[in-house]
Amino acid sequence: MRVLVHIALRNLFQARRRTALLGSAIALVSASLILLLSIAHGIEDSLVTSATTLSAGHVNVGGFYKTTATDAAPLITDKAKLRQIVMDNVPGVEGIIERHRGWGKVLSPFGTIQSGLQGVDISTEKRFLERIQLAKESDYVEGGRDEVVGDPSKLAQPRTVMMFAANARKLGVRVGDEVTIQIELLGGATNTLDATLVAVARDVGMLSSFAVLLPTQDVLELYRIRPETTGALWVYLDDIDRAEAVRADLAKVFEAEGYRVMDHVAAPFFFKFDTVMGEDWTGQSIDLTTWEDEVSFLTWVLTAFNAVSWSLVTVLVGIIAVGIMNTLYTSVRERTREIGTMRAIGMTRWQVLGLVLLEAGLLGLGATALGTVAGAAIATGIDLLNLPVPILAVQAILLADTLHLKVVPSNLVAGVVALSTFTALAALWPAWQAASMRPVSAMSHIE
Amino acid sequence: MAIVQLQGVVKEYPLGKLVVSALRGIDMTIERGEFTVIAGPSGSGKTTLLNLIGCVDVATRGTVLVDGQDTGRLSDADLTRLRLHKLGFIFQSFNLINVLDVHQNVEFPLLLSGTLTPGERDKRVRSLIDRVGLTEQLIQRPAELSGGQRQRVAIARALVTNPAIVLADEPTANLDSGTGASIIELMKELNRTEGTTFIFSTHDHAVMSHARRIVKIRDGAVESE
Ligand SMILES: Nc1ncnc2c1ncn2[C@@H]1O[C@H](COP(=O)(O)OP(=O)(O)OP(=O)(O)O)[C@@H](O)[C@H]1O
Ligand SMILES: [Mg+2]
Repeated sequence: MRVLVHIALRNLFQARRRTALLGSAIALVSASLILLLSIAHGIEDSLVTSATTLSAGHVNVGGFYKTTATDAAPLITDKAKLRQIVMDNVPGVEGIIERHRGWGKVLSPFGTIQSGLQGVDISTEKRFLERIQLAKESDYVEGGRDEVVGDPSKLAQPRTVMMFAANARKLGVRVGDEVTIQIELLGGATNTLDATLVAVARDVGMLSSFAVLLPTQDVLELYRIRPETTGALWVYLDDIDRAEAVRADLAKVFEAEGYRVMDHVAAPFFFKFDTVMGEDWTGQSIDLTTWEDEVSFLTWVLTAFNAVSWSLVTVLVGIIAVGIMNTLYTSVRERTREIGTMRAIGMTRWQVLGLVLLEAGLLGLGATALGTVAGAAIATGIDLLNLPVPILAVQAILLADTLHLKVVPSNLVAGVVALSTFTALAALWPAWQAASMRPVSAMSHIE
Repeated sequence: MAIVQLQGVVKEYPLGKLVVSALRGIDMTIERGEFTVIAGPSGSGKTTLLNLIGCVDVATRGTVLVDGQDTGRLSDADLTRLRLHKLGFIFQSFNLINVLDVHQNVEFPLLLSGTLTPGERDKRVRSLIDRVGLTEQLIQRPAELSGGQRQRVAIARALVTNPAIVLADEPTANLDSGTGASIIELMKELNRTEGTTFIFSTHDHAVMSHARRIVKIRDGAVESE
């Protein structure tokens, strides 16, 4: 009823100090909620980007090759045929790249790191080159130039290497320096290769510490393997959300083609050696994973962040609930005579209940809308500022070296709806108190 | 048939371990169109009596019939409906809704009953505001009106639904005698022209002189007619 909306609005305006105070508190919680959600989505966004650039395709065709029952190499043989099977059976493929999966040491005169060694054919790595950013020399060299040096396309030449800033810093190297790469072969013998650093990229969190890129040629040579083998095919789809469905489909396809397909385990390939080495088969088996499987050891970051965020929001919302109840209860008490009068004139209990809920609901709607818009604006602003994150541990968690926030429109709507509904719910008790007031209380003469 | 009929009405208020008897067996009949004053000293039970007739409270014992309905047997929803459609209230402290202006205050009961179209409603509201002489104050809020003006708004609000009975508990107590007299005049005129039954309480002798019927009560019992 329009008159109830009118009374509710006028009541809110009448008690503007109270309205402003409570409204700001609700708006603040809404803004915090949106900020936290935007950070979570930012992390998720960074996770997706860095995972699908550094660690995996949307769907990965990898696997293990065993010459004896007790060894295991993360290799797939006859990669051309596998690629053809994917092309023939998966619709909407945007591209397929090959990455060799190695692990070894990188040594310089000043330091040593352990890292994944990825063999790349840089001419096929358009996506990778679009998504990474080169670091300024000053980012990783004390007193270095304040400009980008190096060129990833030089990875086309043999005996070259590219890495991320944190590793370059640990090794104390700059573009043009030589490093030594050392790996362990299947029997325990080591093999080494000297390479020139041709490019250094900006860190994108934890994953970048484990990504050193070499030309495919060099990896083949280091591991002494044949050119028709690779580590995995990284398959990119037009829609990342189809990854799991495509993975499941491909498992059936490869089985039908006569391949040994490993049971799906949501873990990165390097966690699977023990299992594979314990199994009693030899030859090739195929392991199909999604990008999420390959970075499943990182999703705890999101889980933890979300847990902290939700506890924070719950506490805030709890405080607000007490505030709303208390404020409305006081306000209803103060209006005992007016409510009694309305009841005496002929307003029903339910209409009184509705009036108080409406008052809270309108306040909630206004305040959450305001807070949400403010939160979205602040989040967008912070994202645009590209604030650098100076602490490595935090970078590792955020999976980026700048603070990235992503505002998701559906979150804004959900935030407004949820919080204003919640406000109305918190008003239930005071509203019930008001509805229970007796019409005879209109007769009290106390002004 | 009588519009209001009370038989052996007793009202007791519990007060801690004590019980206060506000009304001790009232028998009374009020006919349609009467203009009745309930008079008596402070504490005699005037307000209590009007509350029972006004269906904002129920008797401890005895029966209260309003427009033929036994209020003791009605649910809260039924009582609310009875108040909305059959009764009008004029309060000692005016009891307007502070956040609504004059027009909105008078319109309020009509919005609750929802029986008229917006056009009819507006006509009815304006004619009543005109009757109480507040056409100039249409969009003023209660805080911007004098006591007498507020009580006029209350009278218009009480009459807007065309109730069978209008109850007024000491409607002039918060007004100076001149203004009080004009308010009583207005009620009398409305009683004459609209045929509305008026029941009001007072202990002001000047006011009593206007009444056609005076019921005197003392200590919760009818003393004389
Ligand atoms: N809610 C209540 N609780 C307890 N006692 C009450 C209550 N309301 C009224 N009484 C008592 O009932 C008796 C009648 O009160 P009531 O208010 O009806 O008198 P009144 O004639 O209207 O007096 P006044 O002229 O002062 O308004 C008084 O003794 C009063 O103290
Ligand atoms: Mg009284």
